Amino acid sequence: MKRSPGRAGAAGGAGSPGGLYAAPSLFWLTVFFLAPLAIIVAYSFLTPGPRGGVEWKPTLDAYRAIANPSFARVTLNTIVVAIGATAVTMLIAVPCGYYMARSSRQTLLLMLVMIPFWTNFLIRIYAWIAILGNEGFLNDLLIATGLARQSVRFLYNRGAVMLVLVYTYLPYAILPLYSTIDKFDFSLLEAARDLGASKLGAINKVLLPNIKGGILTAFLFTFIPIFGAYAVPLLVGGTDSYMLGNLIADELTKSRDWPLASAISLVITLVTTMGVLLLLRANGTSVLGGSGDGEKPVPEASSAAAYGAQAIGGSR
Amino acid sequence: MNKRIVSAALAAVAALSLSSCGGKAEKLYLFNWMYYIPEDVIEDFTKETGIQVVVDAYASNEEMYNKIVAGGSGYDIVVPSGDYVSIMIAEGLLEPIDKALVPNLANVDPAAIARIGFDKGNRYSVPFMMAAAGVSVNKTRVSGYEHSWSVFDRADLKGRMTMLDDMREVLGAALKSLGYSVNDPDPAHVEEARLVVERWKPNLVKFDAESFSKGFAAGEFWVVQGYAENVFIEYPEDRRGEVDFFFPKEGTPMYMDSFCVMKGAKNAAQAHKFIDYMLRPDIAARVSDYLMLPSPNVPGRLLMKVKPNYSFDDLANSEFKEDLGQETLKLYNDAWRRIRVGN
Amino acid sequence: MRKRSSFSKAVFIGTIVFLSLPLLVLVLYSFNESKSGSWTGFSLRWYVKLFTDSPQLWRAFGNSVIVALSSALVATMIGTLGAVAVNWYKFRLRKYLRTITFLPMILPEIIIGVSLLVFFSGIGLKLSLFTVFVAHVSFNLPFVFLLVLARLEEFDFSIIEAARDLGASETQTLLKVILPISMPGIISGFLTAVTLSLEDFVITFFVTGPGATTLPLYVYSAIRFGVSPVINALSVVMILGTVALTWSTRNFLKYIAAK
Repeated sequence: MKRSPGRAGAAGGAGSPGGLYAAPSLFWLTVFFLAPLAIIVAYSFLTPGPRGGVEWKPTLDAYRAIANPSFARVTLNTIVVAIGATAVTMLIAVPCGYYMARSSRQTLLLMLVMIPFWTNFLIRIYAWIAILGNEGFLNDLLIATGLARQSVRFLYNRGAVMLVLVYTYLPYAILPLYSTIDKFDFSLLEAARDLGASKLGAINKVLLPNIKGGILTAFLFTFIPIFGAYAVPLLVGGTDSYMLGNLIADELTKSRDWPLASAISLVITLVTTMGVLLLLRANGTSVLGGSGDGEKPVPEASSAAAYGAQAIGGSR
Repeated sequence: MNKRIVSAALAAVAALSLSSCGGKAEKLYLFNWMYYIPEDVIEDFTKETGIQVVVDAYASNEEMYNKIVAGGSGYDIVVPSGDYVSIMIAEGLLEPIDKALVPNLANVDPAAIARIGFDKGNRYSVPFMMAAAGVSVNKTRVSGYEHSWSVFDRADLKGRMTMLDDMREVLGAALKSLGYSVNDPDPAHVEEARLVVERWKPNLVKFDAESFSKGFAAGEFWVVQGYAENVFIEYPEDRRGEVDFFFPKEGTPMYMDSFCVMKGAKNAAQAHKFIDYMLRPDIAARVSDYLMLPSPNVPGRLLMKVKPNYSFDDLANSEFKEDLGQETLKLYNDAWRRIRVGN
Repeated sequence: MRKRSSFSKAVFIGTIVFLSLPLLVLVLYSFNESKSGSWTGFSLRWYVKLFTDSPQLWRAFGNSVIVALSSALVATMIGTLGAVAVNWYKFRLRKYLRTITFLPMILPEIIIGVSLLVFFSGIGLKLSLFTVFVAHVSFNLPFVFLLVLARLEEFDFSIIEAARDLGASETQTLLKVILPISMPGIISGFLTAVTLSLEDFVITFFVTGPGATTLPLYVYSAIRFGVSPVINALSVVMILGTVALTWSTRNFLKYIAAK
């Protein structure tokens, strides 16, 4: 943040058009974002209507249902998939971002990463179905080369879900990492090496602390959507890869237990928000080189998000 | 500069919305099962009447019903199974059928109409298809099986079998395999049925009501519970002999899918026209030929060119799904949820 | 240096292969004559079918374009004003606005989709292309807001003061000073919004209604049932379309920035 907004110099008080300019955003997001979330909160404490919707009888049934151990398996599965896929994504993304930042042909490399990323989300899932399917590319190849005598079933299991999730969110992690590393002054690394640090030591002590913000952004932009994944497990998953997102959708669109769907949504919302806030707080003001002037975590988080938005949306 | 961009964008939006609403063509919004009416039959309807048909598809009654209840009520025609016809009548979601506008209703087999308990006298519904989900087996991959639900117990076919993502069909199969009714309200029996499905589940790749037939046609799945029409439409024509479609001997849930007009439908007149068109013998025959299913349309049967994959006699052992009532529905819902969430 | 980066180079090359392979396979299969998976010969029939005999697909495309342009336009107008307010002015709910522009970005899409569906149903709004539009504005707005804000943060408040000193009214300041300098942010915000809207599946899936099928929803149903390889041909056209669009956008942005 170049200057802390709203401080010295900002216009305010009577006659300021600030409120007027802000009014449409305030209105829209309050009505079409916050109010719906509030309704979810309210619904989660109500009784499911017999044919969908809710009855205005307060109950904790939905939360009792979530506390049931049988739900723990879905939650656990979701966490395992989310952590696993995020970890793999990050392990690939960091060296990639590093290589891109160090390259002299950045535009070309950026294009290579972005083209798959511009492709429609569902088309990308579909491409994997075309590869991994029974009559797909990979099985054709295996049979043609004699490595397999009969088609192998690759789809509809947790492995396929993880693979496609990593594929889908890899660019979300590479781009913010690339832009942070790109801003890093590499002469510092050389200086550390000159002072006798090992290569890994130098990376650990000098590079990593400086690109923490990028790592954090990359992590958030990967973990959060994977945690709420719905389409990928639905299309390439099987009975072993049912995730919380699928559960919400099924409760809402099939079993019509809206309070339960609301309660699970609320849990995901809280987990996500708390996770983000904790991470940002743990990182303190160093997030994206924040000015450290005691701003509350939220504005800083938003600059992290803006950063991600730029990396992701702006460069499209 | 900014003004030009904004006005250009505005103009584009205006142009697009105009072109999309363009003209005063009559329209009809149809919410139908996937695979149920061939595209050319709908195109011919548009050619004959000038009414444009907008079709959205669903894969289970629950999916359809919930879209409607959640606010997707702008459809003119829906095609629920019998149990949902009675639910939707009770909920006041349907408009009575004006039989004067559907003279072709007379073509429907009286024997089929006699079996209808969900809407006696067809005040709200017009029968379209009477059928049941069965089991399809790829004979090139699987042998030595009985025509029984017990095929899903075969651990050697683990990872190659699917069942429908449809609570009533799956629990109904389990209930039938135990010798109970598909509408059994007894909690102990539902629990027994749940345990049967839990026993099958480790052998299943997934519960799927939409793409199972594609997977089956591609050789991905070898045993699938599902609708014969989906399976045979997707299966390569020259290899259809490889498929063994059967109704398990213990019996199956069955259904009568019926055309219903939504309450307050904007295009009720067009909806009636469409329903009557669908019951015309030549059209009924074309649809049944496409689906390879027996037709409840008596004069339509005579015009069929394709031999159906089964006959109504094969459904002798099947039982109609009925509205369970709130208490029992909750029982079934809870059992189905436990099946889905447990790994 | 060259030698030292060999590990990251290997990872990068592997990643590019991993990222591109599925798309290359789609391109290959789009020219496949056969309807089923395996290769039987070269053919353009799926492209012919795509352009001449896929009315539902093109209607879905039309819906997508309508929603993308209209929602991006509205989100850009609202979001830009919000960013101007937050960057340069004091007002009562400033902190609140920063929070609610941030939250939608960190929540999984499914939460936004579910909550909007429940909301629309609760207030009795029928699902249609309009509800899809409303949902798209909601998730686009924060992106526009932050992209414009990022641009505005590069400027000092002194330019506003300078405009005031020269006797400009608030409206004149907004139109003659603030909007022109934030134009690169506004344009990239608008384009981001268009892209996000064209791309969205999950949220649209929940809030869509009769006849309001967008292109991603069409692709979804095509993956699920009853498709021919037209979908392969469509994928290739969409990939080329996005590449061309982005290419021209980049050059356009460069042109604006240079001006």
